Amino acid sequence: MVALAERLDPDLLRKIKPVTLSKDRLLEVPEVLRPLMPWGGIQRGTTVAFAGVGGWSLAMAVMAEALGSEGWLAVVGVPSFNLSAASEFGVRLDRVLVVQDPGPGRWGTVVATLLESVDMVAVAPGLRVGDRDRRRLTARAREQESVLVHLDGGRTWPSTTDVTFEVHASSWEGIGVGHGHLTKRRAVVGVKGRRTGAASATVPVWLPDENGQLSAAPELAPVLSLSS
Amino acid sequence: MLVVWCPDWPVVAWGVPLDEPAAVVVANRVVACSPAARAEGVSIGIRRRDAQGRCPDIAILERDVDREGRLFEPVAIALEGITPQVEVAGPGLVGFPTRGPSRFFGGDEQLCEEVAGAVEPILAGRGACRIGVADGIFAARLAARAVRAESLAVVIPAGESVDFLAPLPVGELAVPELTDVLGRLGLRTIGAFADLVPADVIGRFGQVGQLAHRLARGEDQHPPDLRRPAPDMAVTWQFEPAALQIDRCAFAAKALADELHASLSGNGLACVRVAIEAETESGETHIRLWRHEGALSAAALAERARWQLDGWLHLARSARQHQEQENEPPDDVGVGAGIIRLSLIPDEVVPASGRQLGFWGGRAERADDVTRAVARIQGLLGPEAVSVPEWRGGRGPAEQITLLPAAAVDLGEERVATSRQWISEPWPGRIPLPSPARVPTDPVPVEVLDVAGVGVGVTGRGELTSSPSIVSRHASSSDRSTLAGSGDRRRIVQEWAGPWPVEERWWDVMTHRRRARMQVVFDDGSAHLLVIEDGSWWLEATYH
Repeated sequence: MVALAERLDPDLLRKIKPVTLSKDRLLEVPEVLRPLMPWGGIQRGTTVAFAGVGGWSLAMAVMAEALGSEGWLAVVGVPSFNLSAASEFGVRLDRVLVVQDPGPGRWGTVVATLLESVDMVAVAPGLRVGDRDRRRLTARAREQESVLVHLDGGRTWPSTTDVTFEVHASSWEGIGVGHGHLTKRRAVVGVKGRRTGAASATVPVWLPDENGQLSAAPELAPVLSLSS
Repeated sequence: MLVVWCPDWPVVAWGVPLDEPAAVVVANRVVACSPAARAEGVSIGIRRRDAQGRCPDIAILERDVDREGRLFEPVAIALEGITPQVEVAGPGLVGFPTRGPSRFFGGDEQLCEEVAGAVEPILAGRGACRIGVADGIFAARLAARAVRAESLAVVIPAGESVDFLAPLPVGELAVPELTDVLGRLGLRTIGAFADLVPADVIGRFGQVGQLAHRLARGEDQHPPDLRRPAPDMAVTWQFEPAALQIDRCAFAAKALADELHASLSGNGLACVRVAIEAETESGETHIRLWRHEGALSAAALAERARWQLDGWLHLARSARQHQEQENEPPDDVGVGAGIIRLSLIPDEVVPASGRQLGFWGGRAERADDVTRAVARIQGLLGPEAVSVPEWRGGRGPAEQITLLPAAAVDLGEERVATSRQWISEPWPGRIPLPSPARVPTDPVPVEVLDVAGVGVGVTGRGELTSSPSIVSRHASSSDRSTLAGSGDRRRIVQEWAGPWPVEERWWDVMTHRRRARMQVVFDDGSAHLLVIEDGSWWLEATYH
């Protein structure tokens, strides 16, 4: 059986596979973050949050990888989300919809509508999301296999998100006291949440590196205190 | 239909002799090769490197479609001696209905000999020509493909095209996404597909399936009850003065093609056969029919018109040179005098199917899905509520992207302004990359102080008056928001860079702005972009 599967064309195998498990419906994450994810990617139909200083840049890098060249992104009610920075991380602007101001009371409906047709919806609601909206959006994302992305670390979400990416200890390079300019940022990324298992590892990254992309950074030696 | 196919046309057009190995490549893949190269093992589809490996002295030529189109005109002219209804399907492929000519010459076989006799002097031994005769143009083309080396033509007797097609693999239908599914359904030959009930085919595979099914049954792709378009659908361009250069003609052709395409699609029609007509100063009129299986798009129309005009002009030019050398009296081949009028006449039209939807979840269908969601939200919030980004270019972080109402664009189409390369001009005074991730719609007013607690400013020469040490929220501002995410109203500046002065619209007193930007890193590791204008500082963006 194994021998047969090995002999067949992988494309054909994918087509004739009878059932797709949700773990197979994965969105890619950048290579450097893969060790943090128990399935090796973001499962479709889940909620994801980004927290910490640098969380938005991380969100842009992760979404660019997950969307690839064909996926659609909608940004709802986050007028400060800078799309030129997202484009530098590789998000395709011809696959982006923006709803600047969904208006009071319509936020849930707009996000639910978009979850039906686009792959990822990025939000940062100003107020706490009601429990009814939470249930509706979670169900909609699961049915339509889209992903709801919280740019505010999930602070306004009334339950835990499936995966939360956290950016710690970010420090900029290239800038000095009165000279240079911001070129790259070293940060440490970890994940937590309901669907991350017991993984508590972190990875050091450049966010961005000198090419404007997310990439692996060397481990820093631990800082030892010299006081006795 | 009778189809004349020149299998190695891309090579023939380059004028390569038969016994020299040569291959025409596109993107490093061989798309055509000469018989000599084929004998060495070069075949269509292999990589350029492999071709050179198999045949080291092969000549590699880049594809030149314009040249192929231009040089094919003599073949069409040669066939005009046999029938006036010649229609060109593309460089290397030409056909005409056989009914009249076949009776005149006494049968299909005789007709084929006539055709070969007319075409071979043009090819002059540079390449083969193959002839296929069958009921429809599709079957005739496959018949031409079935011609083997010694014979000249394959003639499928009337009414037997279906039987000819039946044993061929479905891949010959050249609809990859359809044939892939058919193969998995166990329908491996055209005959097996043709046996399906048409209604079922339409129900399962939509319009793509319907068109392919018509071909499989030996019918023409489009039903014969073609509506003849109204005569005023033709579009015309008058040249003043008369044009002899291809550049001017090509420009006119492009404009006409756009106009014709717009008026046809405005009427829900698409053009499958177009007549290109040119009138010269000396009063001659030249006309040629071009056919395309799918509907002709505006770009395809323009391209064909350009090939045609180039072909006529080129023919006349080379004839003139020839006469000058031989001192012969001029005869009229091609367009010798300047062109004074160019017309594109839609000859056969079909109802436009609109954009072809990918039944298998293609890109167009996906865009339609998104467009529906956009329409629902517009219904909820108003037409301007959903927007799409485009590059605009500018110095400030908030100025580089502009948002257009989604209703104003076609989400299924490529949009050039969404790629950064669209902005070609450098913007002096731009902040170096990376861009800040977060740009609040309203900049936050702040105070920038030095160690002594004195406000920091920027001199007329673009330098800071002193080194910044503390950034705090403006004391006078009443709202309670804090400094970008941090809990405090005061932050210690650890590092800073700049200022980068920006002078905008200095030529206009009313809109003239002088500003300077500075990057700062606070003690919590967060980085921000500050801007000063008229002596007050604002927090413009955060490197979130």
